[in-house]
Amino acid sequence: MTKKLHGHCGRFASRPTNRREMLQWCANGFGALALSTLSESSSASASGPWVSKPSHFPGRAKNVIFLYMDGGPSHVDTFDYKPQLEKYDGQDPRKVIGKLAPTQFDAVGKVLKSQWKFSQRGEAGHWMSDLFPCLSEVSDDLAMIKSMTSKFSEHTSANYFLHTGNGLQGKPSMGAWLGYGLGSENQQLPGFVVLNGGLIPPGGLDCFGSGFLPSAYQGSVFLPKAQPLANIKPSEANSQLQKSKLALIRDFDQQTSGQLRADPEVEAAIQNYETAFKMQTAVPELMDLSDETEETKRLYGLEAEFNNTKTFGMQCLLARRLVERGVRFIELTCPGGNGDRWDQHGGLVDGHNKNCKTVDQPIAALIKDLKRTGLFDSTLVVWAGEFGRTPFAQGSNGRDHNPFGFTVWMAGGGVKGGASVGATDEWGYRAIENRFEIHDLHATMLHLLGIDHTKSTFRFSGRDMRLTDVHGNLIKEVIA
Amino acid sequence: MIRLDQRYKLSAKSLRRCASVQDGHLRLFSLTVSVRIAKATLMSVIAWGLPFSVAPSVLAEDVPTAEQIQFFESKVRPIFVEHCYECHSETADEVEAELLLDSKWGWMTGGESGPAIIPGNLDESLVIDAVRYEENKVTAMPPRSKLSDKEIGVLEEWVKMGAPDPRTAKKTMVPVANEIDFQKRFNEHWSWRPITKPEFPWVTDRKWPRAGLDRFVLHKIEAAGLMPAAEADRRTWLRRVYFDLIGLPPTADQFAAFLSDNSEHAHEKVVDELLHSPFLGEKWARHWMDLVRYAETYGHEFDYPLRYAHEYRDYLIRAFNADVPFDQFIREHIAGDLLNEPRKNPEEGWNESIIGTGFWYLHEATHAPTDVLGNEADIMDNQIDVFGKSFLGLTIACARCHDHKFDAITTADYYALTAYLQSSCRQEYPLDPLGKRAASTREINRLRRLAVDTLKTSDLVMTGETGKNSGDYYRAAMQVVAEAKSEADLAVVVSQAAKAEGLDAALLQRWVDKHEPIKNELIDRGYELENQNVFADFKGDTLPEGWTTSGLAFSPIGSGLQLSSDGAVLVPNTVESAVNGKKQVGILRSPTFEITTDRIHVLLKASAGAAVRVVIDNFQMAEFNALLFRGTFLNNKGTDTQGQWQWKSLAGDLRKYKGHKAYLEFIDNGDASIAIDKVVFSDGGPPGKMRVKKLVFDSDALSQMEQEAAIELRAGRVHPLILVLLRNQILSVEDISQEASESLQQARELAENLPPIRRVIAMAQGTSEDAHVYIRGSHQNIGEVVPARFLEVLGGEPATRLELANRVATLENPLTARVIVNRFWHHLFGVGIVPTVDDFGPQGLPPSHPELLDWLATDLVEHGWSLKHLMKQMVLSSTYRQATVANEAISEKLVASVDPSNDLLHRMRVRRLSGEAIRDAVLVASGRLEPKPFGPSIATHRTPFMTGRGARPSGPLDGNGRRSVYLSVYRNFLNPFMLTFDMPSPFGPQGRRSKSNVPAQALTLMNDPFIIGQATVIADKILSLADQNREQKIAIMVERVHGIVPTENQTQQLSQFLESQANAYGKEDKRAWADLAHALLNMKAFYFLQ
Repeated sequence: MTKKLHGHCGRFASRPTNRREMLQWCANGFGALALSTLSESSSASASGPWVSKPSHFPGRAKNVIFLYMDGGPSHVDTFDYKPQLEKYDGQDPRKVIGKLAPTQFDAVGKVLKSQWKFSQRGEAGHWMSDLFPCLSEVSDDLAMIKSMTSKFSEHTSANYFLHTGNGLQGKPSMGAWLGYGLGSENQQLPGFVVLNGGLIPPGGLDCFGSGFLPSAYQGSVFLPKAQPLANIKPSEANSQLQKSKLALIRDFDQQTSGQLRADPEVEAAIQNYETAFKMQTAVPELMDLSDETEETKRLYGLEAEFNNTKTFGMQCLLARRLVERGVRFIELTCPGGNGDRWDQHGGLVDGHNKNCKTVDQPIAALIKDLKRTGLFDSTLVVWAGEFGRTPFAQGSNGRDHNPFGFTVWMAGGGVKGGASVGATDEWGYRAIENRFEIHDLHATMLHLLGIDHTKSTFRFSGRDMRLTDVHGNLIKEVIA
Repeated sequence: MIRLDQRYKLSAKSLRRCASVQDGHLRLFSLTVSVRIAKATLMSVIAWGLPFSVAPSVLAEDVPTAEQIQFFESKVRPIFVEHCYECHSETADEVEAELLLDSKWGWMTGGESGPAIIPGNLDESLVIDAVRYEENKVTAMPPRSKLSDKEIGVLEEWVKMGAPDPRTAKKTMVPVANEIDFQKRFNEHWSWRPITKPEFPWVTDRKWPRAGLDRFVLHKIEAAGLMPAAEADRRTWLRRVYFDLIGLPPTADQFAAFLSDNSEHAHEKVVDELLHSPFLGEKWARHWMDLVRYAETYGHEFDYPLRYAHEYRDYLIRAFNADVPFDQFIREHIAGDLLNEPRKNPEEGWNESIIGTGFWYLHEATHAPTDVLGNEADIMDNQIDVFGKSFLGLTIACARCHDHKFDAITTADYYALTAYLQSSCRQEYPLDPLGKRAASTREINRLRRLAVDTLKTSDLVMTGETGKNSGDYYRAAMQVVAEAKSEADLAVVVSQAAKAEGLDAALLQRWVDKHEPIKNELIDRGYELENQNVFADFKGDTLPEGWTTSGLAFSPIGSGLQLSSDGAVLVPNTVESAVNGKKQVGILRSPTFEITTDRIHVLLKASAGAAVRVVIDNFQMAEFNALLFRGTFLNNKGTDTQGQWQWKSLAGDLRKYKGHKAYLEFIDNGDASIAIDKVVFSDGGPPGKMRVKKLVFDSDALSQMEQEAAIELRAGRVHPLILVLLRNQILSVEDISQEASESLQQARELAENLPPIRRVIAMAQGTSEDAHVYIRGSHQNIGEVVPARFLEVLGGEPATRLELANRVATLENPLTARVIVNRFWHHLFGVGIVPTVDDFGPQGLPPSHPELLDWLATDLVEHGWSLKHLMKQMVLSSTYRQATVANEAISEKLVASVDPSNDLLHRMRVRRLSGEAIRDAVLVASGRLEPKPFGPSIATHRTPFMTGRGARPSGPLDGNGRRSVYLSVYRNFLNPFMLTFDMPSPFGPQGRRSKSNVPAQALTLMNDPFIIGQATVIADKILSLADQNREQKIAIMVERVHGIVPTENQTQQLSQFLESQANAYGKEDKRAWADLAHALLNMKAFYFLQ
């Protein structure tokens, strides 16, 4: 009996030995692009890197809206109710909880109970604190994963890990992987859009980078203003001036292409001008909310008193508009000014009040709006921070980073609304039941879009790289 | 089939593995290994620190009692069966971590991480660590859900009672890893084969080949039934060779010169000119920068600056321009700090070689890692990845967690290379332009010695012509103090006493003022150092063993008399940075040690500009952010002792790092001074003062001392009295010897006029250490020890870093020369002979022309590793001169069937220009190009979309017209123009850029303000040309941008465009011309290269 030992690197299929095998090997959608980076003739040309590509199996969702809660929301103050903290409030955690792992700021305070009231919401009975009055109305649409873990207790590495499956900088972000795997259904808008509410997370734009994937897959950061994207506004005073310029360019380019017997790269570059021209219209049209009803705008909180609610409401509404237009992956970052993101090392009450007020109404509106527009079943909504927070205080009124157990939730396409999986210990400190890691979250997200995470690979650095590296198990409990 | 009693045999085998056998040029290692589980067992014994003699006690066959069996069967076994067997038993589909828990044998021998249970010892038992979910050493188990507290309690109880286990049956079958036969891998993969120079292959068309390489290309073209393409027209070739060699287009004059040169050597003349162009290095340096993930900030949260990175970039440019032989280039990169005769900069005379080592440290870095050793391991992974791919085309970093999956590279190989990194230090090395500082310093030293020698031969007349000595002054001073009733009274009393005693009144006044400190200092016996852990006391004339310096500042003072250039008498047995003036620059480094105490105390005297730090696990970021490293970096107030000797403590977070490796650095960046007396490790405060019995201190004792001091001085030694008198300004050198004083005056002038220095990032040799294998790549899981050495299949005996460099930089190593010629082929022909330029391993693609590759490699070495020779023959070849369309004599159908993707190079490839070349060409067309070379980079122009932490002030839109290679590379704020055109993110080596072709590129060229702005400049330039009519102006503009002369039809069309745009503007000509220039910049004829 021969046994394979520690098959954690089982993804290494033997490599093709000749070009023909290589072509066959690459032909199944994934990897086709890997080849195009090697060979001039089969370049991204005819179609472009974002052209819609077939999934491995029929996906339940087509698009993703990733609500990124930058800084690490406190799970024990939002979705992970721990009565034990009330009982031991003010006691030394080293005595009552036991051994504590090193924290980022190394200032361990007392056990700290939540300052908000918890109750069970909806038929699903998810525990939620008073921080989310609007979201509790759609409780039954949410699937809670209450046992998520990360490997890093420092923002930047944890951000990279959440976004790219690796704690180091320079790896492709989820949105880039999805673009590489599935392309997008809209060629006039970028397939991976980051709606920047004001804060770029620690780690910078590399959270949305394409890493070793072709740069076309990097996220495009949209600002919530009239010109949301660099170079999208025509440089000419009027469209006729541009059109005549483009006509001239096209004429000359066709002559060049003719001389080169229609070299595919040159042909593709010519084609790009058509697309780019259309993008100049598509983007302003996206940002123009005049076709939205007043009721819709109100729903999203565009008339709210709290300015950040307006900003995030605008982002959520734009997210829905991007989904309508077939954009594959949309990420929302947080507005500034609520304390240091969700990173409440101090001032927990004020910071979390503001952060929740910012996102609560807009997110609930997004879910309701997606449902009534029929997009909910094909849109995967994911709410996550890079880690949770400690059940004990940092100083007196803050909480430090806690990567050992925290809550993320999903909703929408393929998600079992009302489900809840996993648990942290009675303190909310470590995940102890159905422990999941970020790789599992990624595997599940890809699965819901019809991608087998073990088969979506890109040959780089002598390896077949994956979003999930050599890890990843589906979180079956949240899949409908 | 391995049993425990075979351990010893295995150990012998393992030993044999370390020995190498000679085999031809290459030293191969014996590859009879290795049943992995056995190896792991051996490792585990080492890892757990159990000598072999102890092992049997672990193996003792204690017979469990009936009660123990009952306990095991009823409580323990069910837990194993339910929660562990799925992955850790014979019946598992895949045994995880090589660990079996379905037999006693299984947990005793353990898995990759060693024995899983140490009977009786909860904290050392990995199984207990795993189920407790604390992850001290191993991953929490079972992976998904923690066992109940009750179940964990059972396992703890069982281990505590000695882990009685009745499952005595030794398995007859044990899991055996797929044996990895490295020799087979080595033998079977093409790139490991030695390089021999191939014969030229047979070709039919004898006329076509111009260069040797053409015959290899033609041979394959002919064999496929094809013909090479026609020769490209001369304009096309010239534009191609300009962009390829210097990254810039030819000017109209350069076109004209070449087109009118009908001589046989016209092409060669151009190439020779280009090879001598200063622009050449700027083009080729950028290719190398892609490999070494060149950047000027560290990335991560705050994007801290990677100071002096641009000096490495300039070094590259100079090296390519100077055609530094590539083997030398490699030696400089790997061990430029260790070369016996470093290459000198021809103009500036500084050590050029050492700058090459900077590449090691261009990695990203984060502040405040909660796990500093893990952080070091990640950085080393990146460093080895760059090293392996750049020079060898090997994916060595793949072997960090397990032996390479495909290649003949072991995990031990990987960690053997990390030993070089662990044994080295990052430094900011001060270059010495023209050696002026060294020369000045030599002269200052001479003058200082001269002063001391003069002093020694002088009469030590401390009290001038009065004949009185210090004792007399002291006695008088004490009298004055006793008699004076008030401050106002004092001057009168002093004057009276001086007159009465025949003393110098001014000097007596000083004695009155300073008698207390003088007395205290003279009876000071120093610090109580008994029972103290003294790390260094700097006694002796040389630095203590293992201490090293960079720069010229730090000198050991020794026991003799030494005067600084400032005239100070230096304290014996210290080390000091301002001996030759405050402008000296340098670093003093301790050997590596293990942190064992809460604090490190340093007795020092320093100014605010100096810095002291503990570098823990080579972590360099503490200076930027103290989070988690509080107290490990002192500067400013932290080092300022206001001219006094004081204990300064490195404390705070240091205690967290007990057990970690560290070294100390004392840094003087110029305009500062730091002198160090002692370094002491302790958990408490710094050592206290020595308690002294009451000493008789009176004028007689002082007189006696003065006599002794005079004798000592003549012998070159410093009596404490001299120090005290000088320090308290009772005495000056001038008082003793005018001549000595003059020498010092000269020394001081030199010291104050030292030329400025430049700093570069470099490697320095630290304390040589072996490395530990980190099992499965986890630094918490320590395996066998490996010495610093090269890959086992390429020799692999322990070697210094310089020897490593030599082993990389030789034709005997089958990879190096192949890899570099392939890189040049890739850049000049569009696709490498080996298309995967950074991966020559089995996962890469095989060479399309293996003989050509080897011919080029040997030819390179035969020509002294000259890269210019390599370039020259490539661009002058017939292959390179081909047009980009296939020969009209061959059918498209044939091409489509035999060489559809042009692997055989039956024509040249059409290539899109790089982002750098596009931008530079725009600047050439507009005349804005500022050809100034070198220096700090131009800040990135920041758009409203580039926000986030660590953002820097925005730079000029046109980068001041500098070439793209001189634009900043901020990791978190990369230049969007360059990114759009595929400049790689600087995180890992990328010898081959991705070639994207996306609408964002069109949008950039259509609407980017830089392009729009330059189009206007082009238009202005053209419009300012006098004596040219409209058509001529159009033609000039087209040639400037596209390098071609437009046809009559084209000119007409462009002219019509001008008219229609002008009409739209209402007759305003200028904007129409800018539109024309803008349109030309958007045409494929501009940014694609034929």
